[in-house]
Amino acid sequence: MRDLILRNRFTLLLTTLAVYMAALVMEGAITGREARVVDFENPYFDLNLNNLEEYRQRRDEAADERDV
Amino acid sequence: MDKFSFFRFVALLQREVLEHRNLFIGAPLVLALLMLVSAIWVATQIDAAELAEGLQFISVLFNGLSPFDMAPFFMLAAVPFLLMLYVCSLIYLLSALYQDRKDMSVFFWQSMPVSNMQTILSKLVTIILVAPIFYVLVIFATYLFAMICITIMGISFDVDLVGIGWMFLAAVASLVLLYLSAVVSGLWLLPLMGWLLLFSAFAKKTPLLWAAGMFILLGFLEDFIFGTQYFANWVESRTANPNQYLIMEFSSIFQSVFNYETLFGILVGSILITGAVYMRRFVD
Repeated sequence: MRDLILRNRFTLLLTTLAVYMAALVMEGAITGREARVVDFENPYFDLNLNNLEEYRQRRDEAADERDV
Repeated sequence: MDKFSFFRFVALLQREVLEHRNLFIGAPLVLALLMLVSAIWVATQIDAAELAEGLQFISVLFNGLSPFDMAPFFMLAAVPFLLMLYVCSLIYLLSALYQDRKDMSVFFWQSMPVSNMQTILSKLVTIILVAPIFYVLVIFATYLFAMICITIMGISFDVDLVGIGWMFLAAVASLVLLYLSAVVSGLWLLPLMGWLLLFSAFAKKTPLLWAAGMFILLGFLEDFIFGTQYFANWVESRTANPNQYLIMEFSSIFQSVFNYETLFGILVGSILITGAVYMRRFVD
């Protein structure tokens, strides 16, 4: 295992970042740190990254209506 | 730690200071000079009567009040120095291990009886404990010069500066707060320091791009794979509010160091620092 991690700089970087991320995510899940979704607030429209699919559907529907 | 190890570690700290004296001594000196010149220029633009009135007001403001209570006033004047310290720390940490490999001096240092762990610890101690000392000394000299100027102006305008001594004591007390703030913010930002050191040890070229790029990539990967943003939220929670690591009152020192967020940050930061220690084995 040790040889695998220390094989080259990339495996070491990957392992370090994996351990780091695991610690952060576990701590976040245990303590209930808010796992928010980025919201871009602006005065013109609301954009929620979770709603991209819905947004795409509406755009396609609007395009179909225009074609008709 | 035996006596020899202690002196060896002190020698490592001396090496860091000597090699980066521009960041630790030159930068705050230039900033102090700029601030003094600006202050003198502003003073010359103000009417003499108003200036005398202002001197009287400031002097009376501090008269008889506890220097520890009034110290936070001077913390505001020190904010540019703190920002300069952060910028210089960023530059220092990014180049600390990268520069060694670039100019191949890493071979010389690795031939010395000093482990990679000691080398990296010396860099962290330099930035957390030693560099703030130079900044505090420069600010002390600046305050001293400013007090002399105020006293000379007070004498020339025939103003009774009754509280100048109290003001100076408050300024000195603020330096203690400033040093403690720098140390606590160093501990608070240890994960960031570990991150920068890791990529400083890893990158063959442009460590800044690697550090920033991987940071963004990890955030996106977590969102795409797990649909969560614990990483981004954690980073935001540690950088958004400076009150978490700036000490404005002496009573809050213990609470600032020994709290869950700081201790967890030290734990997570030590993962990255350990990675940087092992990464230093890979020398091209």
